[in-house]
Amino acid sequence: MIHFYHVTKRFDAYSTALHDVTFHIEKGEFVFLTGASGAGKSTLLKLILRQMQPTEGQVVVNGRNLKAMKRSQLPFFRREIGMVFQDFKLIERMTVFENLSFILTVLGLPPREHKKRVYGALRAVSLHHKLNAYPLQLSGGEQQRIAIARALINDPLVIVADEPTGNLDPDLTQEIVQIFAEANLRGSTVLIATHDRELIEQSGRRVITLDHGRITDEKAATPQRAPRTGPLFGIGG
Amino acid sequence: MPLRDDTLPKNTISYFFREAMRRMWVSKRTTFVAVAMIAIALLIVGSFLLVAENLGRAVARAEGKSRVDIYLNVDATPSQIAAIDAWLAAHRDFAGRRFVSKEAALARFRQSFTNLSEIVGQLGENPFPASFECEVAPALAQTPAFAGQAAELRGLDGIEQVQFDWEWIEKLKKLINLVNLAGLVAGGLLAVAAAFTIANVIRLTMMLYREEIDIMRLVGATERMIRGPFIIEGILQGLIGAVVAIAILFAAFLAGRHFLAPRDSLLWGFLFNTFLPWQKLLALLAGGMLAGYLGSWLSVRESGEEKA
Repeated sequence: MIHFYHVTKRFDAYSTALHDVTFHIEKGEFVFLTGASGAGKSTLLKLILRQMQPTEGQVVVNGRNLKAMKRSQLPFFRREIGMVFQDFKLIERMTVFENLSFILTVLGLPPREHKKRVYGALRAVSLHHKLNAYPLQLSGGEQQRIAIARALINDPLVIVADEPTGNLDPDLTQEIVQIFAEANLRGSTVLIATHDRELIEQSGRRVITLDHGRITDEKAATPQRAPRTGPLFGIGG
Repeated sequence: MPLRDDTLPKNTISYFFREAMRRMWVSKRTTFVAVAMIAIALLIVGSFLLVAENLGRAVARAEGKSRVDIYLNVDATPSQIAAIDAWLAAHRDFAGRRFVSKEAALARFRQSFTNLSEIVGQLGENPFPASFECEVAPALAQTPAFAGQAAELRGLDGIEQVQFDWEWIEKLKKLINLVNLAGLVAGGLLAVAAAFTIANVIRLTMMLYREEIDIMRLVGATERMIRGPFIIEGILQGLIGAVVAIAILFAAFLAGRHFLAPRDSLLWGFLFNTFLPWQKLLALLAGGMLAGYLGSWLSVRESGEEKA
């Protein structure tokens, strides 16, 4: 589902974010990407979303070589990816409802379906009572959960999250990881960038470790407990 | 799943309008400037069109009944006048004649140009000549035979000048064309300026929403979806500008007809006879919308995701 072939990303002659990175994430996998700050995690995620292009090498997501992708195809490709940004990227002038509903407008869902979908997504992150709040009225943790709800609202093929638990307490962290796990069970491939070692170890998932732009370690997943089933936001699918 | 689907979502158009109106409301001052620029440009075009329209109608009315004015010498003797009258009576084309004495000409002038009548009074003597006015069939008036008769008429004693009104009709037609052209050139230039103003307003708005636009791109909004509200914003600004221009023009027209036309009936009566027909009003509205569209298009075509 996500394939990196000898990917190097250089910003200038003195700054190389990724150096000859090769890895493969198959469909339905749940992978953690870890490493210290500045290891290249965010750059790698930006390459997946084609926010930037690699200097060398190829990135293939869902069978599509991103280097060869036309600009006009980009929006439709991005709709297949649910991205949780480190800085949330919520639209401040929009309410929580509008922030999520906007995605559904982009996807062309009729307005009558928005309320149900948005409510379901917010319920999954336990913020259904914040429907009419503005992002700046919410705490960092709440904003992060809204960003997660937005990323998951259209059941994307791939979920990519950049430090999605960075602002959350341990209980909420478990809750959020569980939401990602449920999305994974529903078929989404999940890649989470985090430097929370404890979270990674508890999960027993596959881990890719980056250090100064190079993959220094890859650990396979350990056997998991029995998966939970059922629709993610109570909306079927 | 195909990666290309150019059809817009069903609720997109209403989203465009909602967003465009919201953004206009948020940026009221800059929107006002853009609307004012469009309104001024179209007001100028509309004024020229209105003048041309009324002159055009006057010409159309005049063309229906052509007239020959035969001005006599100031010192024409009664016998000369009688001879001229006899000549006119003998020629069928000029037979529908009417004699206008010096006194009648002065009275007519005083009636038509009330504010100039005092000046005429100060001259001491009546400067207007007596004349014959002949109604001539428009089709006949431009035949060679008629021209020969007119040349003969000019040779009669006691005649100062023979004037055909289709000559001034032709001049008036040229003037109308000139007015139309001047209006289009002046209005066109101003419309271009207005389009650039709108372009800058939209550019400012896009800068204001830069972060939001980036987010929209990242979550999969197409460029059409992102740019749509800005295009609609430009078109709405143009439309509102055009409506404002038409409203001001109509108010000015009504005021002119109420206050000016009754006082100097000839000149103002011509100019405030009729308002613009609906086709020209539609053209003004379309012109405003087009200027708005071009302005916003100029701005949004420059925007796009930066390559990293």
